[in-house]
Amino acid sequence: MKAPAPEHFGSRLRSPAVAARVGVWLGLSFGVCFLTGLVSHWAQAPSPTVPFPTSPAWGYRLTQGLHVSTGMAAIPLLLVKLWSVYPRLFERVDLTGGRRLVLTVLERGSIAVLVASAIFQLVTGLLNAAQWYPWTAFSFRSTHYALAWVAIGALLVHVAVKLPVIRDVIARDIDETQHDRPTAVETGPVSRRGLVRSALAASGVAVLATAGSTVPVLRSVSPFGVRSGDGPGGVPINKSARAAGVVDRASDAAYRLRIVVDGTEVASLGLEDLRALPQRTEVLPIACVEGWSASGTWGGVRVSDVLAATGLATDRDVGVMSLQRKGAFRRTVLPAHFAADDRTLLALDLAGEPLDLDHGFPCRIIAPNRPGVLQTKWVASLEVST
Amino acid sequence: MIARVLLGTAGALVAAYGAFLALTRQETGQLVEVAVWLAAGVLVHDVLLSGALLLAGLAGRRLVPPSWRTPATVALVVWGSLTLVAVPVLGRFGARADNPTLLDRPYAASWLVLLVATVTVVVLVGLVRRRSATASTGRRAD
Repeated sequence: MKAPAPEHFGSRLRSPAVAARVGVWLGLSFGVCFLTGLVSHWAQAPSPTVPFPTSPAWGYRLTQGLHVSTGMAAIPLLLVKLWSVYPRLFERVDLTGGRRLVLTVLERGSIAVLVASAIFQLVTGLLNAAQWYPWTAFSFRSTHYALAWVAIGALLVHVAVKLPVIRDVIARDIDETQHDRPTAVETGPVSRRGLVRSALAASGVAVLATAGSTVPVLRSVSPFGVRSGDGPGGVPINKSARAAGVVDRASDAAYRLRIVVDGTEVASLGLEDLRALPQRTEVLPIACVEGWSASGTWGGVRVSDVLAATGLATDRDVGVMSLQRKGAFRRTVLPAHFAADDRTLLALDLAGEPLDLDHGFPCRIIAPNRPGVLQTKWVASLEVST
Repeated sequence: MIARVLLGTAGALVAAYGAFLALTRQETGQLVEVAVWLAAGVLVHDVLLSGALLLAGLAGRRLVPPSWRTPATVALVVWGSLTLVAVPVLGRFGARADNPTLLDRPYAASWLVLLVATVTVVVLVGLVRRRSATASTGRRAD
């Protein structure tokens, strides 16, 4: 049996004309996915140089929904793109020439990096959105972030190398053959245009079938959404009280919210004290890093009112400590401008009912334009440093 | 050419930054697992998935009558990639007993309905195409 070679692949669908057209859409998806991913890391940075804005309240919901949707859209596009260039995997490397050899190795090396990082990003992102973490050692967060830079960098190199071919095949009719391999002459079961349209259709279907987790009007048409959007108060749950190990402490009738200044408790408020403060209602979304989001009508007290009630100014970052004993996000930082925002609540109610234990009873943070993972539940204490 | 060199240089720098982040923020054991996943992703695509598609192409040419090849190919692209995207929810791998709001849809049933609907559409489109093909050859024979 002979080793496979490019000339063994006869279909004229496997052509630069198809690869470039699908590639343009794939590149756009990757670009939006990368930029919205950067926004998400910016939103989660504890104290970024440029503060993350509190408005619009739905901003993070939009960018993270776009992040997951463009990632989904990219999966069928990447599959068709790789299919269209698959014969090139078997090209022989000319080992004779010096400069040409170096260029060939560099080009194929950059392709290997691009393909490996692109598949890695889409697969780990897809699994993460479904809360499936089959890896055991590496951190999803920092690996997905680092390899996003690798993938985008390799993509830019790839575009730089291929630019003349891309421009030429896009400018010509899709069925022209100038850049085809000589053996790619067999008519396929669909036309080239048909294949590109099928890829785009597959991409759109993949988004529609999954986006119901973040776009409420799509819930009824998204058979593969990770969440139907149901849950206590019309809002799904990411981590239950049981999973967080806080059931006993959160349902303890003796619960008091501690106000801590420079490590010393200066005041504590029971639930009845919080209910005695001015009650506010805000309609704000919970938008999770996994891409799902839901809007809720939250009732409770402004964080700034709580601080003012204990004689504290709202010009400093506020540490929010959860009743959780472990977990990377048991302590989060509410930047000063978030703490001072009138819409930032220590929520006691959702949809007119006291918070469900799984939604963070006795009280939780809900702030505008903030990743769900930072909307700390089961708040134990607010901490200010002077 | 200058634009290409600039773009390529920028790309190389961006990728190098990513590699630096990847290599400096985790322990060796974690990096080994990342490397395994990177290689496994490429192998699963280049060997398993591509191999399966090559076999599907060969089988399609022998088993699928010409009138049905076009709809079958479009269906394979759309339904096949949708199935891959749905693997994590179909397996319900992330399901947790303490959280009924997660993975709370009838995924397998939806997938079967989509499969039946796709096959039905392919069969019907193929029938229509065969009828119009016979009609036009019939006219030519007249």
